Amino acid sequence: MSGLPFAGVIAAALLWPLWLAMRVPLRGWVTSSSPSRVWLDGWWCTAPLPALALLLPWSEPSLTLSWWLLGGVWSLDDPRRSLLAVAVVMWGLSGLYACGYLASEQHRQNAGDDDAGRRLQYFALFWPLCLAGNLLLIVAEDIASFYLGFATMTFAAYALVVHAGTRDARTGGLAYLVMAVMGEGMILAGLLWAAGSAQTTMLDALREGLVEAEQGVWMAALLWLGFGVKAGVVGLHMWLPLAHPVAPTPASAVLSGVMIKAGLLGWLMTLPLGHAGAGEAFVMLGRVMLVAGLAAAFGAALYGACQPQPKAVLAYSSVSQMGMLTALVAMGLIVPDRWPALLAAVILFACHHGLTKGALFLGVGVSEHPPRLPSWLLWILLVLPGLSLAGVLGSGLASKWAYKTVFYDADHKHLVLWLSLAAVGTTLLMARALWRQWRAERQARHDDLMPLSGAMPVAWLGSLLAAATLPWWLPMGRTAWPPPGELVGLWWPAALGVALAVSIGLAARQRLPGIIETLPPGDLWWPLVRGYRAISAKMVHGLSRLGMSVAAVVRRLQALERWLIDGLGVLARGEQWLGRHSAVLMMASALLLAIIMLAAP
Amino acid sequence: MSGAWLPVATLATSLLAATLIFALPERAWLARTSLNLGAALIKLGLVGWMIWGLHRGLEYAVEFPVAAGVSFVLRADALGIMFAGLSSLLWLFTTLYAIGYLEDSPNRKRFFGFFSLCVASTLGISLAGNLFTFLIFYEMLTLSTYPLVVHRGTRKALAAGSVYLRYTLSGGLALLLGVVSLHVLAGDIRFGEREILADLGAEWYPILVGLFVVMILGLGVKTALVPLHGWLPRAMVAPAPVSALLHAVAVVKAGAFGIVRLVYDVYGIELSYQLWLLHGLVAISALTILYASLRALAQQELKARLAFSTVSQVSYIVLGVGLFGPLSTVAALSHLLHQGLMKATLFFCAGNYAEELGIHRIDELDGAGWRMPLTSLAFTVGALGMIGLPPTVGFISKWYLGLGAVEAGMPWLIAVLAASSLLNAAYFLPILQRLWFRPGPAHGQGEWPDERRLGRLETSGWLLWPTLATAAFSLLAGFLASMPFSPLEWATRVASQEYLL
Repeated sequence: MSGLPFAGVIAAALLWPLWLAMRVPLRGWVTSSSPSRVWLDGWWCTAPLPALALLLPWSEPSLTLSWWLLGGVWSLDDPRRSLLAVAVVMWGLSGLYACGYLASEQHRQNAGDDDAGRRLQYFALFWPLCLAGNLLLIVAEDIASFYLGFATMTFAAYALVVHAGTRDARTGGLAYLVMAVMGEGMILAGLLWAAGSAQTTMLDALREGLVEAEQGVWMAALLWLGFGVKAGVVGLHMWLPLAHPVAPTPASAVLSGVMIKAGLLGWLMTLPLGHAGAGEAFVMLGRVMLVAGLAAAFGAALYGACQPQPKAVLAYSSVSQMGMLTALVAMGLIVPDRWPALLAAVILFACHHGLTKGALFLGVGVSEHPPRLPSWLLWILLVLPGLSLAGVLGSGLASKWAYKTVFYDADHKHLVLWLSLAAVGTTLLMARALWRQWRAERQARHDDLMPLSGAMPVAWLGSLLAAATLPWWLPMGRTAWPPPGELVGLWWPAALGVALAVSIGLAARQRLPGIIETLPPGDLWWPLVRGYRAISAKMVHGLSRLGMSVAAVVRRLQALERWLIDGLGVLARGEQWLGRHSAVLMMASALLLAIIMLAAP
Repeated sequence: MSGAWLPVATLATSLLAATLIFALPERAWLARTSLNLGAALIKLGLVGWMIWGLHRGLEYAVEFPVAAGVSFVLRADALGIMFAGLSSLLWLFTTLYAIGYLEDSPNRKRFFGFFSLCVASTLGISLAGNLFTFLIFYEMLTLSTYPLVVHRGTRKALAAGSVYLRYTLSGGLALLLGVVSLHVLAGDIRFGEREILADLGAEWYPILVGLFVVMILGLGVKTALVPLHGWLPRAMVAPAPVSALLHAVAVVKAGAFGIVRLVYDVYGIELSYQLWLLHGLVAISALTILYASLRALAQQELKARLAFSTVSQVSYIVLGVGLFGPLSTVAALSHLLHQGLMKATLFFCAGNYAEELGIHRIDELDGAGWRMPLTSLAFTVGALGMIGLPPTVGFISKWYLGLGAVEAGMPWLIAVLAASSLLNAAYFLPILQRLWFRPGPAHGQGEWPDERRLGRLETSGWLLWPTLATAAFSLLAGFLASMPFSPLEWATRVASQEYLL
């Protein structure tokens, strides 16, 4: 297939969600407000569908736009095609889920609640916008388009986070926005610096340029941290557990499943991974990344296991999983010759986490409001993605096996051990999340809620199906499965995790609630906020002192000016006095002259 | 020389319009409005014609001697026509806006007369072919803007006007001193003949440095470089279209354009670099960018915040001039246009909020996006541009400035740019959050300070359409930055002339 239809498909994939976003204000404007208007209708759900066509095996999947920004190049390769596939599936299913999830707000709007109508309009507007940004950043090969897609997605997602409008939602939104802006700043600085020294507008040339630049490793560090905000690098992860629980469940699913992968893609597109001549400094950066990744993997597991809200637990699980991914990416700098094999494992892991975590998030809403399913079946379906995430079966097992083989071949057995221990933490988190969901489901059954039907269970089941079949349809090539003899080595972390979870749950039953209350979601965010308040009070004080001293200087200058003008006034008055007494003065001077002349010899 | 009449005709359009407006009676609304708009359109057409001519390689110049050794020179070169294009485009929009804004207010004759004079002097500055001509129009600009600043005639406006005159007249004096001294040293200096000062010889260099500092002091007042910026935040008492004109086109831009001319066309970029003059410009502009952003953060009034933001953003131009290398020149020249489009949009929006809803303070903006969606959309575009996010023009400027900093061997400036982006985000994003995400009077909570229904749309069409037009331009010039005749493309053309010659 030639380039022209690809251009059309890519344009349709990006413009269709934009048009659906535009449709919201247009509908609100053209027809005067009718309270029964459905904002999340069938058309709205089709937003990601045109992007499916991008997944076809195009012979030349590339498009160059010379007039666009600084010159645009959009293309697809296998890793990005895989991420795109997961993104499209997850956005599509979550969109469908959202139609059911927000049906209650639609009822409220129909009943005359204007605020519910406004919230729905924002959701209907920003959801496709966010999607368009996500798609653009996946296909972008030039820096400007990538940054545009990234920024669009980031800022549009703010509206999804604060959707509920509650106090907690505002806190989550603030944390999200502050961290996102800081990330954008670091990304901008890193991109400008790297692009400036490589004299390029393309991401691949930027990657090459990093290796050659004298201070390339610092540019790489900036980019790592900048994208790390999105990917939840330890220390920059605070927005995840604050924003996820407050966002509507479908938005949490795409945030955790797809959007944080944009940070990973940022690393893949900008860091010189697998570059043989990268040098010692980059290996050092890789080690730092590795340590940070493992710290996130363990720290988030421990902290997250103490959270009461299932969505907060899942958010910490995302931090933990992204920590493991960070460690894998770091190995691309430490052992560059293994990168091609490792890249396949990274992509498989990312796609697996995207879909499985999405299914888990969608499952939270299902357990809070169970559908008409027998309890045992419901619970099997809820537990399955958790087991997959812990690496026991399905795509989780496959991705674990994929990176394990790479590290065994490269003789990095200790890293495998660390990652297996992290999987223990994952199991702990899954046990915690499912326990809280079980409590919620009991409560729901006790309250005798009407069984859920319609879009939500369908979308949830769809996400389970997609996650379960992922190894067979991912465009990344055939997935290798572990031989039966290796299964023990792959399963022990999960078994240990379950044993730990059960024994902790039984032993610390009494004391656990006390511990939980002292550990709010967002961990480091709260001390940072306190520190900021203390510093900003001092800063404001200092600034006002500065302003006062500037004002004092200005007053002094004005006093000087007045003094000068007064001096001029004295001169002018003196002249007037001279004028008034001119006759007397004339006579006096004549007299003086006469005396001088007489006295002169 | 063919086409010598074009620069004269362009200048005459505004001057003639000013004279006729002064001659018309106060009540003649229709005649004055059609005169204003007609002149603006004719001028835009003439400038467009010159741009096309320059593109084909034609030359437009006219000169006549004033005294021995001093000539009055009007000449359209690629750099000047950029500024002329900006001022004539924004004049059209600002005039439309001002007609709506000053509906039913007194002294409109005086206002529009001086408005036209102000634009005429801006045009004269952009088409001036030598320092002498530049100086004449520069002083004319000072005098013609004073009546606009004090237009309301309140005590606060008069005080601001007197501060404005103090600053600008002292600045003009410093510039006069420098220009006369240069004239004594090197004769009539035409823009574009860069070797004259370098040929004077090394023994004159200390004096040249001193004169440069004096002239930067003079130009820096209008450019609002810290610590010469004091007048600008006060001058925001002027009506919104005047603020838009002051901040986007006329006054601060005239100063910045003067600095561009001084470095590129009088001293020459090599000489300025040799004499360490550029380093001084970089230092002072970096300081200005950060200091003004911090001050903007502390402002609670919308227009005051925008004013400090202008101080910060105009220094991007000076920073671009100060960095040695073609990329930063591109950044400086394109930002001359980009900042104008964005800041005009923002001030128009501030004016719309004030006129329609009586909003002056930032905390009164809660939920205004639902009451005035189009204005708020325009404001959002402008604010995102100030932060430097794609696809707005602000991103293009910042991109080239960052690349220029690396090219000039000063990558630490990227930290300044990133800090400025963060600060811009810190003072613009809360406004956007208030506009769109906070419940306010549009949600049935409280009331607007002073709501008036000015039109069938969210506000009067005179106010709305220019706002949307400038917002659209600042989006399009970013989206299509690589198209021919985009500000970026034209700036690249000028920069290549500077560095190849």
